[in-house]
Amino acid sequence: MLPQKFMIWKMYFKLYRVRILIALSVLLLIAASIWGMMSLESFYRNQTLAMMPLQLIMVALNALIFVYMYMNLFSTRWGSASKNTRMKSDLVNVKWSDVIGLDAAKIEAWEVVQLIKDRAKVKQIGGKIVKGLLMLGPPGCGKTYLAKAIATEAGIPFLSMASSEFVEMFVGVGASRVRQLFKKARELAAGYGGCIVFLDELDAIGRNRTFSQFGGQETNSTQNQLLVQIDGLQEKEENVIIIAATNAPEDTLDPALLRPGRFDRKIYIDKPNLEERERIFAFYFSKVKYDKSLDIKRLSRKAVYKTPADIENIVKESALIAARDDKEVVEFKHVSEAIERIDMGLKHRRSLVPKEKELIAWHEAGHVVVLYLLHPTKDVFKASIIGRRDALGVTHENPREEWFTHSKEVLLADIKTLLAGYVTERMRFGTTSDGVSSDFKHAMVIAHSMVWSLGMSVAGLVGDYSLYGSPGHASELAESVKEQLNMETQGILQKCLKDVDDLLKKEWKITEHIANELLAKEELEYDEIDAIFKDYGKIQTKS
Amino acid sequence: MKLEVRDQRSEIRRKILSSLLCLLISVFCLLSTAGCGPTYPKEKFKESIIRLCKKEYSLDVKVKTVGKTVAIYLPLTNLLDFTFALTTDAGEKINQVILNVTRVVLSTDAEYDFYCVMAHDVRIPEIQIVIIKSVEDVRRFLLGDISRGEYGKRMLIDMRIAPQAQKERAIKDVFDRMSIDKKWQEGVMQDFFMSDPATLGDIGYWAGKFYIKDINLPEFLAEEIASRIRLSFRDNKELNDSLILKSAKGIYAAGVQNGGSRYFKIEISAEPRTIEASTSKEASDKLFGYALKTSYDVIHGYNFKDFDYVEIRSLTDGRASKVLKEDLDNYKPKNTKIEDVMVFDSF
Repeated sequence: MLPQKFMIWKMYFKLYRVRILIALSVLLLIAASIWGMMSLESFYRNQTLAMMPLQLIMVALNALIFVYMYMNLFSTRWGSASKNTRMKSDLVNVKWSDVIGLDAAKIEAWEVVQLIKDRAKVKQIGGKIVKGLLMLGPPGCGKTYLAKAIATEAGIPFLSMASSEFVEMFVGVGASRVRQLFKKARELAAGYGGCIVFLDELDAIGRNRTFSQFGGQETNSTQNQLLVQIDGLQEKEENVIIIAATNAPEDTLDPALLRPGRFDRKIYIDKPNLEERERIFAFYFSKVKYDKSLDIKRLSRKAVYKTPADIENIVKESALIAARDDKEVVEFKHVSEAIERIDMGLKHRRSLVPKEKELIAWHEAGHVVVLYLLHPTKDVFKASIIGRRDALGVTHENPREEWFTHSKEVLLADIKTLLAGYVTERMRFGTTSDGVSSDFKHAMVIAHSMVWSLGMSVAGLVGDYSLYGSPGHASELAESVKEQLNMETQGILQKCLKDVDDLLKKEWKITEHIANELLAKEELEYDEIDAIFKDYGKIQTKS
Repeated sequence: MKLEVRDQRSEIRRKILSSLLCLLISVFCLLSTAGCGPTYPKEKFKESIIRLCKKEYSLDVKVKTVGKTVAIYLPLTNLLDFTFALTTDAGEKINQVILNVTRVVLSTDAEYDFYCVMAHDVRIPEIQIVIIKSVEDVRRFLLGDISRGEYGKRMLIDMRIAPQAQKERAIKDVFDRMSIDKKWQEGVMQDFFMSDPATLGDIGYWAGKFYIKDINLPEFLAEEIASRIRLSFRDNKELNDSLILKSAKGIYAAGVQNGGSRYFKIEISAEPRTIEASTSKEASDKLFGYALKTSYDVIHGYNFKDFDYVEIRSLTDGRASKVLKEDLDNYKPKNTKIEDVMVFDSF
């Protein structure tokens, strides 16, 4: 049995062996350098010593230059959280009433505001303090806006940082920034009674951690530090709330972030519905001068699937177009042009030969007729034979209302609408052009998906056969089944082709009328198209 | 029990830290103080040179110091070849001695301003090489303060017949003719003809005895000016094409016997290669101009102030010119015309 003292010495050596070795190495280095200096003759030794201050200055200068260049070339803020992260709540200046729509989200968020404002009351009741709030949803739906409104309403400092700012090529820098950010938040909370830390685009550091030797350590360590800091908030008394926002689906985020105790509350912020869009349009129009006869309800119907950011952009763009047209107020046509510009891109006029222009006009007329008459959920927004982006002509469709599922009939109508251009070209000119390539591609994708994945084949083949396309499974699908599926796909396309053919033969006069109108005017608005159909006694009876 | 163990742990931790700290401080103090002194203390100055030369190059040298001057004597067996040129081996040995002397002189607490290496061939001891260097020049060269070329010009190298040998031969001849007893000859020789040297030209080693003087800066500078003029006749084609140098001598005079004036006197004897009068005058002007520039370079190079004027004499045509210190201070070799600073006279 070894004496206890020896064991303790041994233990200390094991515990501090690195430090002891470093200390001994330093001693050795100092001894070696002194020994080296001693072996010099006094003249050379004095010369070396005399040079040392200069050398130290030069080394320091070099280091400064290196660090400066390094910071400027590779990183703008090394090791510290951005100095611009902090905003005072009065500078944020987004009022609760400014957040239009998002009613459900606002209710959830309001609770958080109350918690921040009256923390003591919650504790008195024994309620658990909410520390994290995660806002999920598509981009442009007002997540950041809502976070700012929470900060304004709570009246406490707001530290905002994009999560991408944590990401660096050097392991440890991100974690260090997280530490600094939370340190700053705690200091501010101590002074102002609370602080909100807002992390935008959380997915940059919040994705599922990878445990691979080939990288990802930096993101892992940053996320680990974030987890530690959030846990630290639970233990300490500072009133710090962390709000994070992301566009990424919830399942892409690391489960450790989502567990209770971290981001306790999740708010789903989706695109606004019709009523919310109306209020958003009204809000943004209240900031510009607009024609009072402008039907905001109609605009809201036109702006299906548009986010608040899209709507804000539409209004801003409308105001710009109105100003360019030398108008005092924004009119409907300005809004229509703004939507068109945002959705379809800027017009660019190519000089087309009359024959080609005619071909394009007929092609688009076919799309318009089938879309107008056959599609159960979509309207024609606009038809145009003015080039935009890569397209020489376009029939812009507009969903009448939000649909989050698509029925077989809707998918078939989509295919028919896409094939209409091809059928019209063939019927009018006896030949077809390569302008149908994009239409065919989309039609084929839909038909393929219907048969292979959605169980919508005529023969009744059910199941997702696309799984057999994954590596290792391709050979499991019998060639006969594959052939049958492909035949079914082609069958759908052929059936749609026949229906379109029948329809256009029947409505050829309307098609011709629209084609001529397009050739004459180049663009047709919904109202003009609707009037043509009404002239022929066709009234839309869609759901 | 737990408390006891904790106490023991903290005590051991304290011991580890304190022992490491003590070790660090003691090693630092011990090593740094041990290396602070001069490498070659003045008490062992001569021995250091002798020991280094013996240890590193197996050369046996003798050393003598006078005032702030060190003299080193190096006997060699093959100083000159049959063409009377310095042999490579002798040159290497002389350089080795110079290197060792430099090392010792620079790393000692003894203060020496000049050192003088004398080498002679033991077979023909009358012929010797004398190299004189200023310690300050060596230091400045090693610190990069002066260039290698300038450093080369600042050392005095002279191959000569030992003046003591010349005197001895001449006097012995007289004594022999006078049939003076050998015993008396030695005494008279020592008392009257083997006295300490008065000029740098008299420095040497003869018959086992150093003839060395304490060199001072002005006389060194005067000799350096003359040496540079001699060198320029070798290197400067323009000068060499028009004149043939016979001799160049520099002295520094100061004291009561000179009327209280302190001055450099540069005497040059150089004959024109052609005999036309106009060319002769032109060549003489050129010589004076060159001597003036060399004097300016040397005196300003050492920042020497302790003189009143520089006198340049041409022994060939009897022309002389005095340049006052103020004029020499204002002299700009590239911009000043020689007539602006030199007034010629004859002697």
